[in-house]
This record gives sequence, C-alpha cells and structure tokens, in this order.
Amino acid sequence: MTHLGGAESTLFWFAAPLSVLGALTLLFARKAVHAAMGMAMTMILLGIFYITEQAEFLGIIQIFVYSGAVMMLFLFVVMLVGVDSSDSLVETIRGQRVAGLLFGLALLALTISGVARTTFPSFIGLDKANASGNVSGLANLIFGKYVWSFEVTSALLITAAVGAMLLAHRERLRPKLSQADWSRRRIREGVNVAGLPVPGVYARHNAVDTPALLPDGSISELSVSRVLKARGQVVNTQTLTAATEEFEESTGDSTQEEGGQQ
Amino acid sequence: MAADSFVQAHIDYGAVAPMLIVFGTAMVGILVEAFVPRASRFWVQLPLAIAGMVVSLVVLVTISRGHEVITAGGAVVIDAPALMLQGTVLVLSIIALLAMAEPLGTRSPDAFTQSGASVPGSPAEANAVRLGATSTEIFPLTMFAVGGMMLFPSASNLLVVFIALEVLSLPLYILTGLARRRRLLSQEASMKYFLLGAFSSAFFIFGAALIYGFAGSLDFDAINKAIGTNGGMDGLLAPGVLLVAVGLLFKAGAVPFHSWTPDVYQGAPTPVSGFMAACTKVAAFGALLRIFYVAFESLRWTWQPVLAIVALLTMVIGAVLSVVQTDIKRLLAYSSITHAGFVLVGLIALNTVGISGTLFYLAAYGFSIIAAFALVALVRSGGTEATHLSQWAGLGKTNPLLAGTFSFLLLAFAGIPLTSGFVAKFAIFSAAVGHGATWLAVVGMAMSAVTAFVYVKVIVLMYFSEPAEGTAVVTPSALTGISVAVGTVLTLLLGIIPAPLFEMTQHSTLFLR
Repeated sequence: MTHLGGAESTLFWFAAPLSVLGALTLLFARKAVHAAMGMAMTMILLGIFYITEQAEFLGIIQIFVYSGAVMMLFLFVVMLVGVDSSDSLVETIRGQRVAGLLFGLALLALTISGVARTTFPSFIGLDKANASGNVSGLANLIFGKYVWSFEVTSALLITAAVGAMLLAHRERLRPKLSQADWSRRRIREGVNVAGLPVPGVYARHNAVDTPALLPDGSISELSVSRVLKARGQVVNTQTLTAATEEFEESTGDSTQEEGGQQ
Repeated sequence: MAADSFVQAHIDYGAVAPMLIVFGTAMVGILVEAFVPRASRFWVQLPLAIAGMVVSLVVLVTISRGHEVITAGGAVVIDAPALMLQGTVLVLSIIALLAMAEPLGTRSPDAFTQSGASVPGSPAEANAVRLGATSTEIFPLTMFAVGGMMLFPSASNLLVVFIALEVLSLPLYILTGLARRRRLLSQEASMKYFLLGAFSSAFFIFGAALIYGFAGSLDFDAINKAIGTNGGMDGLLAPGVLLVAVGLLFKAGAVPFHSWTPDVYQGAPTPVSGFMAACTKVAAFGALLRIFYVAFESLRWTWQPVLAIVALLTMVIGAVLSVVQTDIKRLLAYSSITHAGFVLVGLIALNTVGISGTLFYLAAYGFSIIAAFALVALVRSGGTEATHLSQWAGLGKTNPLLAGTFSFLLLAFAGIPLTSGFVAKFAIFSAAVGHGATWLAVVGMAMSAVTAFVYVKVIVLMYFSEPAEGTAVVTPSALTGISVAVGTVLTLLLGIIPAPLFEMTQHSTLFLR
C-alpha cells in the first residue's frame, strides 16, 4: 500500500469511501430502488478501480456486464414488483438482528486481525503481470490453465436458462386464437355476435374505463375490461350522467328521455 | 512474455470422459426438450439419462481406471478416491433417477409438477394438468447435477471446486421447487435452499480468496506446499480454511450449517430428497476429503479438533432433534444429519482406515436412503403424500411389503447387524478408536442408540397400531420397484458380505497430488 502514486492514491481515497457508502446503501436503504442504485454505484466504482490497476478489460467488463446489464435488470425487476414496495423489517426470530450483527462483527474482526498480522511479500508488479498485454494475459489463463473451469461454467449457464424457463415461462399448450377464430366462435355460439359492447360515450368522457349504459339505464358489465373491474378502476357513471343532465337542464334541452332516464 | 506464450492445457480425455459423457447427455437432453413432441419426451429422456450414466460408469471402470492423472491444467485429478467417489455417485444417481422418474401410469414424472411456472392451485395449473404438460426438463437438470457431483470430489483447485459446487447445487435448487403436491411448501424450501446455498457459496469463495492471497495459487498441491513455507502469512490461512470449510460443511449438512436440511428435504419432491441425501453427501464428503487430505494436509493437527467438534455437534443435535419429529421426511432429514456426523468421525481419523470407512459409509447410506425416500413417496392420503407419522400407523397390517422393507431400511440406519449400516458404523468407529478418538466413538454409539429408539418407534407405530384412516399405498411401476429393490438388496448384501466393497474402498485411499 506504500507505493501508490499520487494520482492513484487521490483517486483511491476519493472513490473508496464512495464505494463503501454504496455498499452501505444496499444494506440500509428502505426502498429497493435506492438499494439497487447504491449497488450500481459500488459496481461502477469497482470497475474504475480495476481500470486504475491497469486491468482495463476487467474494468470495462465489470461496468458493462454488472453495472450495465445485471443492475439494470435488477432495476427492471424492482419496477415490475413496484417501486414503492419496501422490505418488511419485522424480525420473525427474536434477537436475530442483534445476533447477526454480532456474528458479522466477529467475522470482520477475525478477518481484519488475520490480514493485519500478515506480512505480504513483495508484489510481482503490473508490468510483469501485463507483459503480453492485459487482454492476452487473461486469455492465456482462461483458455490455457483454466480452460476446464471456463468450459464447465457453460453447464451453469444452461442450468440457469433452463431453470428460469421452467420456473417462470408458461408454455403455450393450445394454439393462440386469432381474430377470425374468435369471430367464428361468436357466430357458432350465437352469443355477442356483433362483438362485445364498446365502452360508453358521454359528453365529457369516452375512455375505456367508462361502462356503456343499457336501455334501462344500468351499466353493461361487458363493456369494460375485467382487469379494470378487478382493480376497481371503473368510473362511476352516475357522476357522468348527472353532469349531462345538469347541463341539459340549464340549456332547456329535454333529450333526457332518449337515454331512458325517466 | 510474448503473446505467443499461450500454453494449451493438456486434457487426458480418458480420465475425464465419464464427466464429459454425463454433461454431454445433459445437453442432448436439453435438445430433446426442444425438438421432441411433448407426448414422447418422457420415454426419450428417461432411457437417454440412464444410458448416459451407465455408459459413463462403464467408461469409468474400463478406461478411466488406467488414467490416474492430474489433468486439464491441474483442474481435475483422477485418482483412486476420485474414481471410487465418481462411481458411487453414478450408481446412486442411476437408482435415484429411476425413483424420480416414477410416472405412475402417466407420461410425466409423478413427483414433479406439470407446470412449474403456474401459481399453485390456479386455473393455469389445472389446465396444464388437463392438457398433459410435462416437466421432463428434470432429466437434463439431474444430469447436470450428477456431472457437478462427479467433478466436485475430483476437482484439484479451489476455483473448480467452487464451480462444481454451483453446477451441482443450481439444478438441485430448481428440482426442490418443483414438487407436484404441497407446492407452496416446495417453493418455500427451494427459496430457503437457494438463499442459504448462495450464502454458503459466498463464504466459500471468500475463503478461497484468502487462501489465494496466502498461497498465490488455487491448486491444492501448491496450497499444501505454501503452508510450510509462507511463514508470515498465517493470518490469511486460518480464516480462509474456516470459510472454505463452512461452504463444504453446508453442502454436507453438518451442524451448525444444517438448518436448511429438514425444510428442504420436507419440501422437495420426495425422490429428490433421496437423491440429495445420497449423492450430494457423497460429493460433499468427497470434496471435504480431498481438500482436507491434500490441500490442508500439513495443517491436519489444526483442523482436526475443529472438525471433531463439528462431528460431535452434528451427531448429537441430529439425533436429539430426530426424536421429536412427527413428519417422516423431516425425521429422515434429521437422521441424515446424524449420519453426516458419523461420516465426519471417519473423515477426521487421518488414516487409511478412516478414508476407506468414510467411502464405505457414504455408499452404504446412499443405497438405503434412496430406497427409503422412494418408499415414502408411495404412501398417500387424500391425494397427497402422507408424510405425517400418524398417517403411517398400522401400515404393517395394510401393506406388509412396504412396511417390512421400510422397517428393514430403518434398522440399517440404526446400524443393526446383518445390515450395511452395522458394517459401515463399525468401520467408522474402529477408525476413530484407532486414532485415539475413543470419546467420539462412544458419543457416536450413544447417538446410534438414540436414533435406534426413533426408528423402532416408527416400526412399532407401523405394526402395533390401528391402521390410519384414508392412508393408501399406490402401486408403483417397475422403475420404483427396481430402485427400491436394488437399494434394499444392497443394504442387505453389504451387511452380509461387505468384503468386496470394502476391498474397493481400501484400494481407494491414496490421493494423487
């Protein structure tokens, strides 16, 4: 640690606390998005460290793959789950957090004391490690000594892909019905032959969440999507018709009989 | 160094062929999933997987035995213990896969859900069942796990150990979550297994990094040589060894890293629990043997007392907690923890008797536990597996064959003479006495007595109580039949004539470095 150059040590002392801060954000942030962003920051800073250590390839890969691809996937998942969702911080096992903290600190103390007692031999140095170029050096290791590890990793990737499909991909068991199929089926069954009723059209509203009115003034359940109904996002038509009636009353137009609103 | 300094790692294909065959079969299995019509997948995948493992075993016995080398750039070592462990994994996997495939008259393995992606109990799931969806992906996944299990005990550097650990674990996490019945329990088990497994992998890789810092190499032999010479750096070595041990002991299911075992064995599809209890243990203890006997050999007087305490805790806690279990799968899980403790007793003996005893124990226990879990899968009540002990009452009267076989296997777990369990325990405990750890042998025998009490309780329940309402035993196909028959007959044979296997294990104690 003694032979850091001036610029290198400036960068280190500037970026290292930031990367620790990012890691702590991951631990203590209540919102999943903040945790993910904290982690992304740490990843990017790690990439910068690698580049400073003249491991450009590793640094770029770190930023591309981890910060770029993996962390962004994380963020997508977080957004799908809901940005507002936060972890439940209720302890299900009493004293778990305290015990966890104590064991964590014990592990930290053990490792730090171990590393502190160590007298490291002199380093080989970057010039020698990068003698044939950084990327070629890596390639020589990956496809030379560590080729077996590299190849076996493919088993891991295949397993991950198959597992993800198995657990998340619902296979289509029946052919998808086309518009023509739906139309044929409606004719055959004689139900809703002209298609489902469209949403209602009101003086100030014609969106998909406004149900159409039947001749007797009640709403047509079929005219709004059941998803909207399940979410409780169907507009109450009473307020819409009331506004129309009020308007008609003030203008003296008496077309209200048309709508059957006796 | 110039750019042309690339040195190609020499791979002795004769030595690694068994693993390549298993991985190759797994990949062909993936292609089968892609191209073979759904209706015929099951009867393509099952013979393919079995054939792959049988061919691998034949190659192992005929070709690889003559290729005892450290190969692939020091990544893989094929020596006598590795061959023995790989052979054990293959044989056990074949009979475990037969039990896992049990279709019960359908075209899909009965223990696995037909639609892993659907919400349990949803219309989508009902639809998948009605339209005959299959989950034959379990065959290639199992093959990948078997490949990882073969690589795990033959890995000769810490990086390969880590990758093998993941290759064997990842399919198991997925298989655990695919039970057809009680799916929520199964998914919870899978989640717990995955999270705890990820943590233990993190511990392992942390330890491996510290050891790399210490030795400047990940190769076992280089680590062992560095232990004597790198004087000033012991501060990195001790935490490194401990953290690596955590990762491995987690897979072996040893206390205090055992807490996942009961939940996972209970939630996983029952034959998968058998597969995990048998084959994962063989692989994990094989890797433990190699790491502690090759990489950390010069440290043996340091790690031996630590592992002795782990062995003691594992035996005692596993045995004591198995007394209070009311679920047969949890009971077998705690019993497997106790057995892990017994195997550890053999592992720390530091002599050839200990190694051969450990190898024998792993094989003997594997045969019995696969058959036991295969039998548990057959007892049903109300459309689901009857795992509560009260549902097993009186099974001896309604189905004497199943109850008799299961009782015999339980007696083997207890270590009653004329079963493989007795011979295995005898080998382990005599190794312990031989190196002066009589106290471990005494504790081990006491814990055997405690677990024997548990097993006898189950046997008494099966034979001397009134039959439980609604419990029925389904009639399996020949697949489970063969699996249970092989497991049971070998449990008996290894109890009567253990000499052939013993000789094999005694010739398999010399590690190549």
